[in-house]
Amino acid sequence: MNATGQSRWANFFINGSLLFLVALWTIPTLGLLVSSVRTRFDIATSGWWAILPHQEWVLVDEIEIDDDLDRDGVMNIAGVTGTFEELREGIETEDGMQVLWIGNRRTGRVEVQEQQWVMRTDLTLDNYSNVLTGKEYQITQPDGTVITEQGDDMTAAFLNSLTVTIPATVIPILIAAFAAYGFAWMRFPGRKILFTVVVALLVVPLQIALVPILSDYRVLGLNGTFLAIWLAHTGFGLPLATYLLYSYVKGLPRDILESAFIDGASHFTIFLRLILPLSIPALASFAIFQFLWVWNDYLVALVFIGAAPDVQVLTMRLAEIVGSRGADWHLLTAGAFVTMVLPMVVFFSLQRFFVRGLLAGSVKG
Amino acid sequence: MKSKTQWLILSLVVIMAFALAACGGATDGAAADCVNDCLDRALAGEFSGEVVTMTGPFVDVDAIKFNDSIASFEEQTGIDIQYEGSQEFESAISIRVDAGDPPNIVDFPQPGLMANFASTGDIVDVTTFLPDSALGNYNDSWNQMATVPGPDGDIQAGVFHRFNGKSIVWYPIDDFEAAGYAIPETWDELIALSDQILADGDAPWCVGIGSGAATGWVATDWMEEIMLRTTSLENYDAWVAGDLAFSSPEVTNAAEVLSSVWSEDYVFGGAAAIVTTEFGDAPTPMFEDPPRCWLHKQGNFITSFFPESAVAGEDYGFFYLPGIDDAYGKPFLVAGDIMSLMKDSNAARAVMHYFTQGEAVKEWLAAGGALSPHLDAELSWYGNDVERGVAEIVAASTSFRFDGSDLMPGEVGAGSFWEEMTNYFSGATDLTSALENIDASWPR
Repeated sequence: MNATGQSRWANFFINGSLLFLVALWTIPTLGLLVSSVRTRFDIATSGWWAILPHQEWVLVDEIEIDDDLDRDGVMNIAGVTGTFEELREGIETEDGMQVLWIGNRRTGRVEVQEQQWVMRTDLTLDNYSNVLTGKEYQITQPDGTVITEQGDDMTAAFLNSLTVTIPATVIPILIAAFAAYGFAWMRFPGRKILFTVVVALLVVPLQIALVPILSDYRVLGLNGTFLAIWLAHTGFGLPLATYLLYSYVKGLPRDILESAFIDGASHFTIFLRLILPLSIPALASFAIFQFLWVWNDYLVALVFIGAAPDVQVLTMRLAEIVGSRGADWHLLTAGAFVTMVLPMVVFFSLQRFFVRGLLAGSVKG
Repeated sequence: MKSKTQWLILSLVVIMAFALAACGGATDGAAADCVNDCLDRALAGEFSGEVVTMTGPFVDVDAIKFNDSIASFEEQTGIDIQYEGSQEFESAISIRVDAGDPPNIVDFPQPGLMANFASTGDIVDVTTFLPDSALGNYNDSWNQMATVPGPDGDIQAGVFHRFNGKSIVWYPIDDFEAAGYAIPETWDELIALSDQILADGDAPWCVGIGSGAATGWVATDWMEEIMLRTTSLENYDAWVAGDLAFSSPEVTNAAEVLSSVWSEDYVFGGAAAIVTTEFGDAPTPMFEDPPRCWLHKQGNFITSFFPESAVAGEDYGFFYLPGIDDAYGKPFLVAGDIMSLMKDSNAARAVMHYFTQGEAVKEWLAAGGALSPHLDAELSWYGNDVERGVAEIVAASTSFRFDGSDLMPGEVGAGSFWEEMTNYFSGATDLTSALENIDASWPR
């Protein structure tokens, strides 16, 4: 009895804290989602939680102020008496109403308000349509006519992002899988040193490589091409990929490989028939890492393919949506949800490998 | 053991070979040889089919306005101007220049950044290929502001393309008139008006200096305005050049004047709101009915942050921020964009020449969002009364100076000046130590 009581409390505690943590992480996202369907003015003047039912003072009657009222003295309006300062704060009447002076002493008006339950439900999909189909610009011409120009939509940027991301995910995985097998199961001189060099590259920040690589690309004429950014992402992703896959491949049971050797299988056959199928969890989990990283990357894309509209990727398009001085900041939330869609699909379709992959190499056999 | 060493040597050799291959760079492009006549030759179609690459910080609707305004030039000359804007322009251009791959022409929003590249010899002196008539299309101050030290003496590192006027105060016209307030002509009247608004129960000033990583720049603009109004132009120039310390009596005085305006009572939301309010949101309370604050000083670009329903001339208008001391006249603070030639070619030179003509911004003026520094630009070109009015004020001002923080070295103008003013107005430091900290951060 006692024992089950304890475990029930323990369960309750664990579930409670989990629930709390989940809420803590989800509520800001929920706030973003709500903000993405509100107008700019609404976002600026009230929080997203205003869409929930809450009590608010609502206007029931407006009172014109007599011009000859002494606004510096004590006034008697709508059954309450008070000075201007008191009226500005709001004076409550006995039947639960509030008399409030709105505006300044000279031009203000007086409202009688009542507390009511309200919800702000004036939501809009304009943000999403602006993001997806492009903003409409009203441009005045020198002759005074106004023409409407449609800004770029996200389609081109979305395709560009795909063009960048898919090869930039597949290429490093292929190379790293070969390398991991080589480091783990082939005996050749300098193996340890080479592997140490690869692992050491993990700590080199990619920013220091931008300038030298860019000047190499200039010589090779690769600047602004997709090949340039595939190679760059491959290079930047390889150390982690090699290390991750090495740990996993190294942990595969030695017996399987040895029996294959005895049966006369070549390295290539073993790699293709045994290693690849067995390391799918590790491959998939690295694919998620690399895909998300490349998809969300801004800097590498900016440097190697630039921001020209025909090659720019989604992150750049998203940054541009706010305008030169950030006047259209309210579109960011909608833009963020749009760009989030594909990574979510990738994550959920590969997530069953993800947890297994996270453990890749953590326990070595 | 021996084979291990061999492998090591071999791999080292391979690495070295790659490195060497990378170092041997090719030189690009045909030589640029046209002087003074580049534009004429371009208009004759000589450079037809050539591509001129450009980068700059403006994106979105501004990029559309720019492309509209160069369309007729491209049609006439056959030159293809490819503009590529990015929000991270500052870091992108530095990387590209370091890698030896600059675009032909760069739009610099801050002369300070341009000066960095000019001092390393990455910018072509425009006086070497532009005729005097082209440079003569500017008030001399513009040419002086674009003149910076090069590797061998001063060079004019670019030509101004468009600018923003800063010394203007926005107010809600309809409510202003209903309340019977008058537009202040002098600083004393401005303060009297502020007191009047305060006595009537509202906060006079809408102020917000928040701007992400650039929080504080609004405060530096105000400091520059007050400096121009309380001390001589020589002192202002010395201050911008680093010869007049921030802790000097002149600058300290300006900061004190600013503190008297940005006081607990004068600012909407109290002094605590100054730092926490985004600069774009700051004027929003002015458009509520009735307004909750009444005055907002900001450059003409701020109209794009006003509510879409607000009508110029009815819901909002503007007046010149009055001078403080008559001895210093009616100064005007501006900021603007300079076009610099970084990768030389005949076609790029022709485009540079084109940028010295008012024609190059005509469409942009009509569309709104820019002012023209060109002498041959006509007031009738402006598409809205606000910008035409600002242009008139600029023309009537007795002197004008460029936004000082944009001219100061990046460590100060885009760093400590912003940060320390933010610290001061958030109450994190006192004025004396804030100003001393800025002095200490100045690269000597």
